[in-house]
Amino acid sequence: MVSATTWATPTTRTELIENLVSGVDRYNPSNVGILEDYLYHQIRSEEYDCLANLAILKLYQFNSDLYNPDVVINILIKALAALPFPDFNLCISLLDERPAAANPDEPDPLPSLLPVLQSLHNLLQQCRFPAFWTLYRSEKAESLRDNYTVEVVGFENAVREVVVRAVKAAFQRIGSQRLGSYLDLAGDELSAYVEKLGWTFDASTGVVAIPPNPDNQIESTVVQENTQLPQLLKVIAHAQAA
Amino acid sequence: MAQQRTAIWEADLDEDFHDVDLNLAIGNYGQNGLYNDEQPRIDEATILAVQQQVAQQAALAQVPDAVKRFIVHFHQAVLDNNLPEITVAYESGWNRLTEKFYAKTEWPEAEVIAPLVNDDQIFLILYRELYYRHVYSRLQPDIDDRFHSYENSCELFNYLLNSDGPVPLELPEQWLWDIIDEFIYQFQAFCVWRSKVKSKTEDELMLLADASQVWSSYSVLNVLYSLIQKSKTNEHILALQEGKSQEEIAEIVGDYGVRPLYRMLGYFSIIGLLRVHSLLGDFTLALKVMENVELNQKSPFTRVTACHVTTYYYVGFCYIMLRRYPDAIRTFVSILNFILRMRQYHTRSYQYDQINKTADRMYALFAICTALSPTRVDDNISNIVKERYGEQFAKMSRGDEGIPAFEELFLYACPKFISANPPPYEDAELLQAHIEDPPMEPAQRHLSLFLSDVRAQAPVPTLRSFLKLYTSLDATKLSNFLDADEEEMVQQLMVMKQASRSISRVDGQKGLLSGDMIKTSDLDFVIDENMVHIAESTVGRRYAGWFIRNTEHAQRVLDTLKNSPLPIPPRPAKPAQAAKTDAAAPAAGTPKPAGQKVAWGGVKVA
Repeated sequence: MVSATTWATPTTRTELIENLVSGVDRYNPSNVGILEDYLYHQIRSEEYDCLANLAILKLYQFNSDLYNPDVVINILIKALAALPFPDFNLCISLLDERPAAANPDEPDPLPSLLPVLQSLHNLLQQCRFPAFWTLYRSEKAESLRDNYTVEVVGFENAVREVVVRAVKAAFQRIGSQRLGSYLDLAGDELSAYVEKLGWTFDASTGVVAIPPNPDNQIESTVVQENTQLPQLLKVIAHAQAA
Repeated sequence: MAQQRTAIWEADLDEDFHDVDLNLAIGNYGQNGLYNDEQPRIDEATILAVQQQVAQQAALAQVPDAVKRFIVHFHQAVLDNNLPEITVAYESGWNRLTEKFYAKTEWPEAEVIAPLVNDDQIFLILYRELYYRHVYSRLQPDIDDRFHSYENSCELFNYLLNSDGPVPLELPEQWLWDIIDEFIYQFQAFCVWRSKVKSKTEDELMLLADASQVWSSYSVLNVLYSLIQKSKTNEHILALQEGKSQEEIAEIVGDYGVRPLYRMLGYFSIIGLLRVHSLLGDFTLALKVMENVELNQKSPFTRVTACHVTTYYYVGFCYIMLRRYPDAIRTFVSILNFILRMRQYHTRSYQYDQINKTADRMYALFAICTALSPTRVDDNISNIVKERYGEQFAKMSRGDEGIPAFEELFLYACPKFISANPPPYEDAELLQAHIEDPPMEPAQRHLSLFLSDVRAQAPVPTLRSFLKLYTSLDATKLSNFLDADEEEMVQQLMVMKQASRSISRVDGQKGLLSGDMIKTSDLDFVIDENMVHIAESTVGRRYAGWFIRNTEHAQRVLDTLKNSPLPIPPRPAKPAQAAKTDAAAPAAGTPKPAGQKVAWGGVKVA
């Protein structure tokens, strides 16, 4: 994401959703179904619309009877892959504390999964990518994988996008082993992934070169002072008056 | 009691009960319990009404004449839509009389003064608005005050929104802002009070169990959105931006929007939404409702200083929560400079204290932002920050060990967060569970989210201080210096890189949420396999700002000197003293000029 405009208004957002997100209809509890369907559409087709998902959480915040933990978990999973942007915490901010589920037959999965999701988020945010994959593949996250992320099309690739954003800003060249541990890929899979990115892999040295971009080109500059006419207005006006 | 009994005679003579029903409904809220044990009788209501009116007449007799005159005058000004007179009554008369007569007690109840204003219901609603505001700011509102101030707000907005067509009322802009501001303040105060279950009495618990709609988030949002829609505020702003003519705008905004009262209420309601959404933790939506508002000194909302300051405070805070520190810094610098400039004019304004408190919180937030995103910033502001929060700032710039300082400043400066829903007062069992295992307070929840962001970039200051020393450096060597695992350190470098980039608004972009990626740090680096290359941008010395400021200052001093009258020669009545001054002056200068010399010297050193 280079511009926040596409974040605030993704091109994939339909007019119906746009009206809900930007209008007062967002408060109407009967519209929650439309927004939830839209979330599941995002999950199936690798789209992402943070503001629409926040609108769901807003409705849950005001109408606790609408609360659906599966939806909340899916929203958080989608928000994970938005790093380094703050979507995940923005979603968490809207989760007011709620009393334990009234229905003991259907235990709320969120309280047990939320700590896992938050740990995953912290690891990604701190660029501790190998640790992220270890936790994600561990027993602790089993229920998250089996019940949720398995349904989110392209979840692992979305996380790799987070890695790619961090790597291409910081590196000009990176050892393939290191890159592999960040992406949780090795061998042919890794070379295929690197090739798809347009990065070049030198097999003899085992080093991946990353094409220049605004963040991995550095130069020392000296910023010179630049005085604008409006700054001098008062002084000149006074001279005139005197 | 004695007064009440004597007054019964007067009541017998006065058969005029036509307004009593309303007084009963509103004025008798908490007293019903007194009569519960009596047999219900058909004429009980009448007796009560008589007693009440009697009591009110007695109470009116107690009201000081100055206050009576003020109310009559105030009422007339409102009837005439005489804005200058209303402004005087509102901004000075009310406050002066409060100091004199009601510094520690309530103003007379609206029912008591009703005869003075011919029972004008609209004026009485406005009067109660002031009455309750006084209770909230000076006294301890009890549950009745909280419920009644809500009812009164509802009546006021109902009158404004649901009369036949726009109402012919005119009020000063300051008052209109205060109405919206106070409405949200009372909502927030109620939510905080409501969340404290333990301190509630039996009666309060009962009332709260029945009153889930009182001060509900939905009802508050409903009022604000309705005011915006009724006066077509967003359409109005867009039309202005498109440069439409007065006639076209009048056409667009319709009967309501053309009236200053509705137009300003609409504007202020947008700011109100910004605030309510922030209090509820929805920082994205808070900025989104401001989509059409342009943040500059020319916007209409800046005409009321309190509104101007509030707007920037919440916008800046939302930017922090969106991790857009450069935008937050820009917002705070702009408003803090404004406050510094207006200080010389506003010191006597009754809002000055409030503005100063908000400003101080913004200095704290500014310190937080510059610790997280070190940039070259406005000298004026950063000098004040150094003075007030220098100690915390130094700690915050040291990574992990600065966490308590972040915590302290955040809790001091953050909005008074609320939770959207009340504790389960209607269900005794759930309520008990709630008391035993109370949920985290909203401010603590937002603090912990904020601190998780801070912790994520905790290694940055240390790395930065090392990188500053080199132009290129082997990663292994760097990790040895830091006494850290190389792989871990490389990951921290990526964090540092991300922390040096931020989304920020670029000139000319519409909407507070828009923005592009910018570089925020003067220190940049890149890793080439195992070598770290570092580049630093330096800013050449700046002279212009300093010279411009001091030239302007010199001009002001010169003007003052030119305009001041010639000194009056000392009277010959006390020759001894005069002679002393005369003697001192030519020799070494009186103490005053000497003080000035020091000031000039100070400037030279700086």
